[in-house]
Amino acid sequence: MNLTVLWNLLVTGILRGGLYALMAGGLALLFGVMNICNFAHGELFVVGAYVAYFAYVTFGLPPLLAILIAAGASFLVGALLEKSLILPLRRRSKGEWIMNTFLLTSGLSVVMQNTAQRVWGVRYRGITQYWAGTIRITPTMSVAVDRAVAFLIAVVGITGFWLFLRRTNVGRAIRAVSQNETGAMLVGIDLDNIQTLTFALGSMLAGLGGASMLSLIPAYPFAGGKPNITSWFVVTVVGLGNVGGSIVGGFIVGLVESFAFFYLGSGWQDVFSLGVIILILLVKPSGLFGSEVKGVLER
Amino acid sequence: MLEVSQLQASYGPLQVIWGVSLHVEQGEFVALIGPNGAGKTTTLRAIMGLVKPLSGTIAFNGQTLNGLKANQITRKGISFVTEDLDLFDGMTVHDNLILGGFSLHDRAQVEGTLESVYDLFPILAERHRQLAGTLSGGERKMLAIGRGLMLSPSLILVDEPSLGLAPKLVLAVFEALKQLHERGSTILLVEQNVYTTLHMTNRAYVLENGQVVMEGPSSDLLRNEHLQRTYISMGAAGEGGFPAPADGGGPAL
Repeated sequence: MNLTVLWNLLVTGILRGGLYALMAGGLALLFGVMNICNFAHGELFVVGAYVAYFAYVTFGLPPLLAILIAAGASFLVGALLEKSLILPLRRRSKGEWIMNTFLLTSGLSVVMQNTAQRVWGVRYRGITQYWAGTIRITPTMSVAVDRAVAFLIAVVGITGFWLFLRRTNVGRAIRAVSQNETGAMLVGIDLDNIQTLTFALGSMLAGLGGASMLSLIPAYPFAGGKPNITSWFVVTVVGLGNVGGSIVGGFIVGLVESFAFFYLGSGWQDVFSLGVIILILLVKPSGLFGSEVKGVLER
Repeated sequence: MLEVSQLQASYGPLQVIWGVSLHVEQGEFVALIGPNGAGKTTTLRAIMGLVKPLSGTIAFNGQTLNGLKANQITRKGISFVTEDLDLFDGMTVHDNLILGGFSLHDRAQVEGTLESVYDLFPILAERHRQLAGTLSGGERKMLAIGRGLMLSPSLILVDEPSLGLAPKLVLAVFEALKQLHERGSTILLVEQNVYTTLHMTNRAYVLENGQVVMEGPSSDLLRNEHLQRTYISMGAAGEGGFPAPADGGGPAL
């Protein structure tokens, strides 16, 4: 294998890794704080992709602004979904909460896919790139500006999210709810608000992923399937509800996929990935970074 | 200050509180004592809105608390140190305390209270960067009480602080509560450790089978025959889950 191939595989893997880290970080947050098995996470990715497409192509807004608008829209859609579906479910759910959230979000995913299909049809809405040009590192090794920026956006998104959880009062409150709900209420934290915010934040991360990856994955009604399953793959491998681990895991899975794709051929990368997950879970059922301590950041 | 009247509440499907009335006035140190399963904890949880009362009213400074959520009641100025402490185990001592002041927006006030909590519990200052989950039992109680104090509450409810602690630590925790009271805090304390509790509180209610069977100044109750027989002598014999006073005699609390 020559250096150019290796370089390309690394670039692809790390870029995908950034996306998976964004998506899986959001998913882990939802599970860690709210115990939600969100199977509509991929649909929020699609929301981000569609909004970014319309903002960028239809309205001709600058790329960065289009991506920001898409992230904001996903945040709002997430907040709306939480208030209209998850909150009422929480009020009514007597037991089997996790199973109920799985059923609810799976159904929601079907509804959202079909609504998108009805409204916008099945055609692909993609772009070739937000930003033109390539960065040449050596004569044979280069990376497209578009991909570099997408990766940068993922890194900024993840870092901002991390700092928010660690440093701000509201972030601390989210972590508090993930560790002890009664304790959180007893220091005056409103659980309903935190849960809506958490769902909205997780949705925003997925939407940010969908928007920034628009040149790689075009917007279409079923675009969320693969990112959804892969981010589930990541959070399962690292241990459910662990945000920090999911970020690391996102990059690992991105790289594994990229290399498996090259060496085993298209279509086999999922087989390989799922093979890895089965092996890991056989050896360590709580996941790579799983532990007994409950909390989204503390492991 | 706190006025509970004719409270009825259940623990799960089982009604355990049958018409409890009690009141706590500003600056008082009041105890709620009684055997296991008498409904002491449920009473506190009902006051905090963690258990929905079947009937009866709970008023705080003239405002009714019925129907409010725990976080809203906390914001009225009531701290509740629960039996299981409900700490944030994955966070540092410092973060736990800061979260205690979550509902206050005056940063300077929070910092000031933090200093006074560290002053009251120097061990917490020493361990401020340690995770709450790694503290010892006694330190955890102090952290829970300290977190409750961060709110600068007008009333503190404390549930069984002696539970699971070695006698020496029980005394340390009680000593801290007594100091708090001397500094002007109003406290409603639930305890099974009857003897020590009656020695340091102003007034007490005795709860049995979900009803108040006796109430009055603690010093009177201490001499009461029924209590002597059921709790204190038993406690002195070290039976029935009521630990004997740690130093053998009447603790100089």
